[in-house]
Amino acid sequence: MAAPLSRQKLLREWKLYFFIVPSLAMVLAFVYYPAASAIYHSFFEWAGGDTRHWIGLDNFSRAFHDKVLMGSFLTVSILVIFNLFQMIPSILLAVLIHRLRSDRWQFIYRVLLVIPMIVPGLVTLFIWKFFFDPSLGVLNSLLDATGMKDVLVSLDHLFGWGVFFANAPIAWLSQPALILPSLFIWGFPWIGVVGVLIFLAGLQSIGQDIYEAAELDGVGPFKKFLYIEFPLILTQMRLNLVLLIIGTVGGYGLQLELLDIYGGPGGRGMVPGLWMYNRAFFNGEFGYACAIGMILFAFILLLTFVNNRYVRVDK
Amino acid sequence: MSSSPARISALRRDGSKHLVILFFILISLFPLYMMLEVSFKDNATFLRNPWLPTSPMSWHWENWSFAFHLIVPYIANTVFVAVTGTACSLFLAILGAYFFARHRLPFSGILWAGFLALMLMPSVVNITPLFMVLKSLKLLNTLWALVLVGVAAGQVFNIFVLRNFIEDLPRDLFEAAEMDGASHLQQVFTIVIPMSGPIIGTLAILSFLGMWNDFLLPLIVLRDQDLFTLGVGLIYLDGEYVKQWGQIMAAYFVASIPLLVLFFFTMRLFVRGLSAGALKG
Repeated sequence: MAAPLSRQKLLREWKLYFFIVPSLAMVLAFVYYPAASAIYHSFFEWAGGDTRHWIGLDNFSRAFHDKVLMGSFLTVSILVIFNLFQMIPSILLAVLIHRLRSDRWQFIYRVLLVIPMIVPGLVTLFIWKFFFDPSLGVLNSLLDATGMKDVLVSLDHLFGWGVFFANAPIAWLSQPALILPSLFIWGFPWIGVVGVLIFLAGLQSIGQDIYEAAELDGVGPFKKFLYIEFPLILTQMRLNLVLLIIGTVGGYGLQLELLDIYGGPGGRGMVPGLWMYNRAFFNGEFGYACAIGMILFAFILLLTFVNNRYVRVDK
Repeated sequence: MSSSPARISALRRDGSKHLVILFFILISLFPLYMMLEVSFKDNATFLRNPWLPTSPMSWHWENWSFAFHLIVPYIANTVFVAVTGTACSLFLAILGAYFFARHRLPFSGILWAGFLALMLMPSVVNITPLFMVLKSLKLLNTLWALVLVGVAAGQVFNIFVLRNFIEDLPRDLFEAAEMDGASHLQQVFTIVIPMSGPIIGTLAILSFLGMWNDFLLPLIVLRDQDLFTLGVGLIYLDGEYVKQWGQIMAAYFVASIPLLVLFFFTMRLFVRGLSAGALKG
């Protein structure tokens, strides 16, 4: 409905500019200016004070030789691959809920699913940290009680991991080799904040009659998924994946709170965002942190581009 | 009455699905169960019996009173940040969206492109220079810093959604209002806001949740314990050396109460809001 205005009308409507000024001022001050400042300062040695020192591209060449930073990109790539598996329970759950014949139960389950999501994320995180505790934690008690620990120990003997021992509790967050597995397990069954609801929205267009027709034709549950549901939620899967990837690649809150500022023992949980945070706020290397931020930005932009280019799903 | 045999047969035919769904939901709810159950124990009871709730006779209510004293000030700070931030953010976004939706003025195309470009920028990249900006504005260690940054961060998405919505409102309404000599601000208050109630509610919940759950920015901005928001407060609690798990779990539960209450009253908006959050990408 927005149409170009005549000159005369423009003179009358100029006051409308006042409507955008507050938003614009906020965005300029707290988003654009910091972004410009990040680009600018990535060429400086800067401890955050008034003195800064032009060093050209030194921050960037340092970054590309920084073993911690390069390792952190590898870690974050592994975490992104984890995302693929962590999506499975949400899909399964959405499909099962959608297939229920009773609308009432569908609603009840939706509400029950949202409840864990509205507990502050940090609380969930800390409860999981508590679950991982070697002597008090739920996870170890569960493995002991079900005998799974013996299985893990014998597997350890078989493959020589040197990680699980019969006479010591499993040190989830303090054994370097177990950091990545812990980052995978935490939050099981990974029913994401938006995941199930997005999938349910995608499934909405499948009516009960389609299922009945499929049943008459003798289509089994798995084939039903393959031919009826899967094609319809492909778009949602891509959307969900994009959200998860952007969150995982840029995020560092999880690693900061579950492990520590160095990404846990051996730095196995170090991700680029955390290293940036670490350099800036614990080492006072603000210029270098800005450069890391730029590299991370480029990496996310590249991932978004690849995603749009190659993971396109046309309905 | 006639529906009840049908219902039972539906339940029987869907039995295995119900079992799988319940299995997953029970695991998702398990952390909450542990939180509630441990919150009534002291460390000795917890070590003896970590799994099952104790009888109400031996509940340690002092954990809860400890938690309330500790967490309520944090909640007050967080409520201030999240409510002020959400209200300001949406009000500014409505004005901004109205600007883009009503007329195409000179430069509005460029401004729009400038706003959209921000959608590509991950906020995490900005945190270092943002800290310096807040420092030079003398906003460090204030709650206003969190409000201002929250408002700025929410503008792009909110304006994006609201613009489309306002453009779809019937044009006659605006024209009629203009005939009656209504100013733009009056049109916003008498047409836009009353007619976009649900979408404003949904956006408000998303923005509120975002500010409520943020802890990375508060962690670098806030220094005084008086000003701690929930996130920083919980991190501070986690850093205690000797851990009284009962007290900690009670504190976690108290921290979760406000959102549970909010959820109870706005269940429908919540479910829709969370689904709409998907479109953010």
